Amino acid sequence: MKLAIAVQRYGADINGGAELHARYVAERLARHAQVEVVTTCARDYVTWKNERPAGVEQINGIPVRRFPVVHERDPNHFGRLSRRVFDEPHSIADELAWLDGEGPASPALIDYLERASPGLDFVLFFSYRYYHAWHGARRVSSQAILVPTAERDPAIGLGIFGPTFRGVRAVMYNSHEERAMIHTATGNQAVPGVVVGIGSEIPSRSEPQRFRKKHNIQRPFAIYVGRIDENKGCKELFDFFLRYAATFPRGLDLVLIGSPIIPIPQHPRIHHLGFLPDEDKFDGIAASDLLIMPSYFESLSMVALEAWALGRPVLANGRCDVLKGQCIRSGAGLYYERYEEFAETLYSLESNGPLNARLGRNGRDYFSQHYTWPVIEGKYLDMFDRLKRDDAAGAARKAVEPLPGWLGRRRRDQRPASQVLADIPSGAVVSGRDGAHDLSRSA
Amino acid sequence: MTDFSIRSDNVDVEQIMRQIRSRIREKRGVDYTEEEIRELANVKLEKFLDPRGVRSDLLEQFRRKREASLPPNFKFEDTTLYETHRGFLAFMRKLLNPILKLFFNPNPLIEALNIQSKLNAQQAALEPLYYEVIHNLVLETTRLGIDVKNLKMRVESMSSRLDFDERRARALEGVVQYRPGAVAPLQPPTSGDERQPRTESDQAERRNRRRRRRGRRRPDDRTGARGAEGPRSAESASGAEAARGTEGVESAAGENRERSWDDGGTRHNDSQSFAPESNSGHGDRSDSSSNGGNDSES
Repeated sequence: MKLAIAVQRYGADINGGAELHARYVAERLARHAQVEVVTTCARDYVTWKNERPAGVEQINGIPVRRFPVVHERDPNHFGRLSRRVFDEPHSIADELAWLDGEGPASPALIDYLERASPGLDFVLFFSYRYYHAWHGARRVSSQAILVPTAERDPAIGLGIFGPTFRGVRAVMYNSHEERAMIHTATGNQAVPGVVVGIGSEIPSRSEPQRFRKKHNIQRPFAIYVGRIDENKGCKELFDFFLRYAATFPRGLDLVLIGSPIIPIPQHPRIHHLGFLPDEDKFDGIAASDLLIMPSYFESLSMVALEAWALGRPVLANGRCDVLKGQCIRSGAGLYYERYEEFAETLYSLESNGPLNARLGRNGRDYFSQHYTWPVIEGKYLDMFDRLKRDDAAGAARKAVEPLPGWLGRRRRDQRPASQVLADIPSGAVVSGRDGAHDLSRSA
Repeated sequence: MTDFSIRSDNVDVEQIMRQIRSRIREKRGVDYTEEEIRELANVKLEKFLDPRGVRSDLLEQFRRKREASLPPNFKFEDTTLYETHRGFLAFMRKLLNPILKLFFNPNPLIEALNIQSKLNAQQAALEPLYYEVIHNLVLETTRLGIDVKNLKMRVESMSSRLDFDERRARALEGVVQYRPGAVAPLQPPTSGDERQPRTESDQAERRNRRRRRRGRRRPDDRTGARGAEGPRSAESASGAEAARGTEGVESAAGENRERSWDDGGTRHNDSQSFAPESNSGHGDRSDSSSNGGNDSES
């Protein structure tokens, strides 16, 4: 089997969510198929500046083919286009201009995919919202499998994405919430899809004591792992934790692992350890009482999965549908939406040993059932088999709907994307039987 | 193809969250919705009260800026219109002034501009004062804001501790029992002379009663005497034992919980239920009722 994986950036040093996801999937699927990665020369996701040479290189045994980006992103221009399509009635042409402005515009990449497609079984496109995924999925729709990595942001409300989601062969979702949102926004229920997510390499043995000794942390603590950024909810976490620390003077400490973007409050119970290697990270999680995930927007939190894999409960931001849904479905975490809930849930996880242990145990089970690599690989391979069976049976394929004509593209009949998003129900997908349509939402 | 299966392994996270929210409601009385909280948060008072936003050299900076940006005030007298450094020109203007007055009357104009110049001077003198007042107000408000914040945190801290103490007290109350002879039961207040035996026969009666009681309290007789008192007292005795046992457990639980806050190393108590209130032990009430049997015996 021959597969191509198209992603906006690729590299061993690129740790962005979707890019890392793509790399892990490529390296894992390479055990079962011949995999080639098709990407751009960009390294910076803000400018898409060509920083790597075009051509083929090997990364961890995977051939990576790079194509130049024809123009860098102009943040001001892109901001204006975003305001127009997100907040005002607009046309399809405006949306296409927005897509081009967002980048990374690489027509050579799309042309290559079209040329190579006869020799490929499937092409996996990561991140639906970027140029390569939209143009690529339309150009090779009969082989296109989309891994949308969609978050709840207005881009999903743009009219140009509906035909793409409805026209690809399959969609590999990261979470039930993402699937429910995309179904509502694009009406692609008929397209084969499965909630997959991503696995993680968990060490067979972790050494909490080593971590405590190395970093001189004696007291029990909650841990946060990730970029220390306002967008990740860290500012709110600091506010809440400082209040909690004042209320419970002998409660848990807070240990932070990751690079800081915002200033970290100076407090005797907040310990910032900076960016740590994976071994230390896993030891730290194993040594902690719980992991805190304060982020508002996540399509899938790998750190939360790692904490569950190590048997630690998670305290998540309940305003993130995905995290809340995962906590509920796994029975392995609590969530908060405001300070009072933060204090009570943290107190419960801190002081109630049996609850903490049971949630941790549930987390471990949840991870081993759904997020170990054999499970993830199995889901991808099952999907490929299913599509091949459909091909062999000569099942009717729905092509991507064509764009309207010149005049139609310029008609200002598209609603502001933020309004479309507001009409999509939010909340965690919590209960019901297995399967997309049996799950219900909890606001 | 397998997809996710939903399971919870005896832990219903939503149920726990409902309990947590109801506890918060009980504590707070009012439960704001998320929208209400956001609306409140949108009031940008914090920005104004931010002590870092107030500059200590505010007045000085204001003066400097004002001097740089404001045009200088003008002086306007009745001769200002005709002033010139050239003597001849001044003479000519004076000479021709009556002719000018044939066309219009410049006096109201002169008067108005004179008043305006005086007003400008007054305003210039008042502005720093206003600014000083505002500056002091901002400082004072900031200080008050910080005080309020600190007090809020202290109140929160106190209320949490109070809450914890109440829970613990409730747990302990459940196992407190009355032991005859250990602590005198509370008596209604009586006057002093009522406590004294009134007559000689009363005193003799009390002495006899005391002797009878002493005779009954033979140490080797104790178990037999208990058994002789009938099934009801035996029941009460076992109830008391049970209560004592429970007390031990409860005290241990209480201590354990206490230790979980005092001792950094041991965080988890042994409670099987997630709710901290569960330490109060619902079985304790029945223990108290068996203590009631003890009381009636004595």
